[in-house]
Amino acid sequence: MTTTRPTLVAKPGQKGIDPRSPRFGAGITAALLLVVVGLGLVTPLGVTLAARATEPGFLLFVIISALFAWGAFAGVRRHPYGAIYRALIRPRLAAPTELEDPVPPTFAQGVGFVITLAGIVLHLAGVPYALVIAAAAAFIAAFLNSVFAYCLGCQIYLLLVRAGILGRKGAATA
Amino acid sequence: MNPVAVLGVLAGLVAVATALGFLWRSQQGRVHHARGTTVIKASDIPGIRRFALGATFVQFSTEVCHPCKVTHAVLGEVAGEHPNVAHVDVDLTHRPDLASQFRIMQTPTTLILDGKGVVRARIGGAPRRDAVRAELERILVPA
Repeated sequence: MTTTRPTLVAKPGQKGIDPRSPRFGAGITAALLLVVVGLGLVTPLGVTLAARATEPGFLLFVIISALFAWGAFAGVRRHPYGAIYRALIRPRLAAPTELEDPVPPTFAQGVGFVITLAGIVLHLAGVPYALVIAAAAAFIAAFLNSVFAYCLGCQIYLLLVRAGILGRKGAATA
Repeated sequence: MNPVAVLGVLAGLVAVATALGFLWRSQQGRVHHARGTTVIKASDIPGIRRFALGATFVQFSTEVCHPCKVTHAVLGEVAGEHPNVAHVDVDLTHRPDLASQFRIMQTPTTLILDGKGVVRARIGGAPRRDAVRAELERILVPA
């Protein structure tokens, strides 16, 4: 007995992506998040909202969060890091041995966006170390994704399904 | 915070993330032998009517999981090598109740059942081809 053909490529109508592209992007993100943690630790928390909103570490964090939103809502294939990868890195590498469905890395971008958005809101509200802790959490996820090919969707998504936040109960089964 | 302490925190963060990465990687694909006390009814698993005579791989996946697709290919290949071994891939996106019933904490998770539906092994993460084959030998040729 055997099963259906393995589906390493994306669903029909969707082009698969080079799995090294999101890992390259996660590497840039991890490095930038480490800079945010460093800046957040050397800069004392601003007393006024305006002071907190203009701290350099915070501004960089907002840019990172916006890039996560870009990947999550426009799809990873339209992400600027993907364009950098295709222009500079991809031509220097061998062809990918397999293609990846864009859905898992897009979900990971969404998780990154939620974590960074929470950091932004709490920092603006004046919560001490909110920026540092959110950036450190996002750093660990991005670092594991980039270096170890850790799959965020494999655990977080399942937790959300079990909690009833995601998923379609009672729909057709696989 | 002084710059030296900041650098220390950053180095510590990288070290913690690296340790977590190695820990996660060491757990991936590890085969846990079951005591053989858990029996699953074929009717509990969507997509099959009865278990294969030899063994059945019950794989739990979601759609946002790339290793699940790799695992699907590996298990399908190994199942194809034996006439009495079947592979079923269950998408938990539609069945959170099964995730709770089988206490699935990550995808892919694979249960290897013998012909009677007894859970003989559980593998969290993408399994290695040779580990699955070795497990199958153990089940198909009882000592």
